[in-house]
Amino acid sequence: MTRNVIIFVEHKAGHTRKVTFELATEARALADQIGGRALAVALGNGASTVAQALGKYPLDEIHISEDPDVDRFLLDPTVDYLEAVARSAGPSIVLVGNTMMGRDVAGRIAARLQAGLTSDVTGIRVEGARVECIAPKLGGNTITTCAFKEAPYGVVTIRPNAFAAASLETGAQVVQIAKPAGKSYALTIEAEVEEASDEMGLEEAPVVIAGGRGLGGPEPFDTLLKPLAQALGGTVGASRAAADAGWVPYSLQIGQTGKVVSPQLYLCAGISGAIQHKVGMQTAGTIVAINKDGSVPIGEFADLLVVGDAFKILPELTQLVQESKAAHA
Amino acid sequence: MKIVVTVKLVPDTNAVKRIDPATKRLVRTGVETVINPFDEYAIEAALALKEKLGGDTTVTIFTMAAESGKEVVRKALAMGADDAVMLSDAGLEGSDVWASAYAMAQALKKIGFDLIICGALAEDGNTGGLPNALSEYLGVPALTNARHIEISDAKVKAQRETDSGYQVVTGALPMLMTVTMAVGEPRYASLKGIMGAKRKTTAVMALSELGLEKAVGTGGAKTEVVEIAARPARGKARVEEAADGPAGAKIIFDFLKERKLL
Repeated sequence: MTRNVIIFVEHKAGHTRKVTFELATEARALADQIGGRALAVALGNGASTVAQALGKYPLDEIHISEDPDVDRFLLDPTVDYLEAVARSAGPSIVLVGNTMMGRDVAGRIAARLQAGLTSDVTGIRVEGARVECIAPKLGGNTITTCAFKEAPYGVVTIRPNAFAAASLETGAQVVQIAKPAGKSYALTIEAEVEEASDEMGLEEAPVVIAGGRGLGGPEPFDTLLKPLAQALGGTVGASRAAADAGWVPYSLQIGQTGKVVSPQLYLCAGISGAIQHKVGMQTAGTIVAINKDGSVPIGEFADLLVVGDAFKILPELTQLVQESKAAHA
Repeated sequence: MKIVVTVKLVPDTNAVKRIDPATKRLVRTGVETVINPFDEYAIEAALALKEKLGGDTTVTIFTMAAESGKEVVRKALAMGADDAVMLSDAGLEGSDVWASAYAMAQALKKIGFDLIICGALAEDGNTGGLPNALSEYLGVPALTNARHIEISDAKVKAQRETDSGYQVVTGALPMLMTVTMAVGEPRYASLKGIMGAKRKTTAVMALSELGLEKAVGTGGAKTEVVEIAARPARGKARVEEAADGPAGAKIIFDFLKERKLL
């Protein structure tokens, strides 16, 4: 069966999230293998700005709507628009980022389209006519390959940082989506409040600098971790202990009851690496830990464990990184 | 008000897990089954609402699981839930997200609810799609990642966590909600709660009671597992002692260069 590939674009007022470019690149590769078109759906305030940014990626069509309802009501208009594009495109694989927003969209659209859902996918392959999705499961301890059975639609959530983003100008056509008729929306977004200044979501950051109980309080997250994260182009994360202590919001918590991250570099200070934390970060590319104690569990699965004082090492490291970046700029 | 909390029974995170190569399913024997940790927060949120709202507010635990999970469900009752319903049927085995959500939705319609509260994620699959799919099948709005929940006169106001902060969202019952850890640490069962749980009812529901129009279980699933492999374990770390700050920084800096991360 020929199927198209549709990506759901995540953006904030026209600022496109990194995972979207990863989806766009994979959409092209997959569409070429299954003989369909690669489409994007961008909705809400800033969608036309997003369409411009996506013009640098190998898509066939970018479907947009700047309907204010998308930002005024929670998710329902978004799912309606996405469904409209999917129905008009016909049989398709829908790719969505495995992010807080993406998980909601994916579950909803899968039910709407009577589609199977594969989650947290890090690889896609096509075997004959079947699309197979590879995903780490059970806290990253096993790798599961899951295939869509014969059905018109399939929905996939893609783990950020798992696919490379490669730009390639193709001049995708921008299409306006007609407003789905006869809909009413039940959940109103009354206000939007920013708590973290970072634009980058924890799950899609290529570099995560995380802190734990060993940091002793909230200040080091701002004074030690953040400057290093900024120097390395990443963001700050935390262990559960740090979130439970109220040092950082729960949205930064990594682990069993928090977020699962797979950055290229995971560097942590004052985190012992108990299993509840491990399952949230063990699929990172490189893991570096700084700890006063050389016998902490993280030594069993990190790549480098530096035994020393994070309070002294981190500022020095930040400076080295900044100097190196400046020299190469 | 009738609150129903959906609970998934999952293998304990701390246990070594293994997947049966023949059935491609998790081997649950010998591994302690627990309430999905995210769902404990959903139970906590429901019990806190019950305390706040008082009156005729009740909390029902709902799970789709084998009857052997009854003991685990009892823990939720001991925490303070009023009763429980289990959808237990061999015909559900092999259900994927789609089939599970469909079967659960039919059961929840039968149970009845004003508010459904779910955990934000299932710990064993990192899926998070199920509550959203449920809301579609039930035709109720889904207020996801909620905290600071206020309900009065069937009107709901809550903060919805986003990656960078939160949104203030309002709506009306009936609805489905997923909650984050910010709703508060799940309470421990008191001795009184544990004793009382023995007298609370756990009803068992079979598929035949639901009058399903679509197939569930392996036959109804839209996806199938074709392969399962153990992920190669990471090796032990290179351990380096840092004499002082600059020495430690140099070790890490050189390592990042070596790995081409700089």
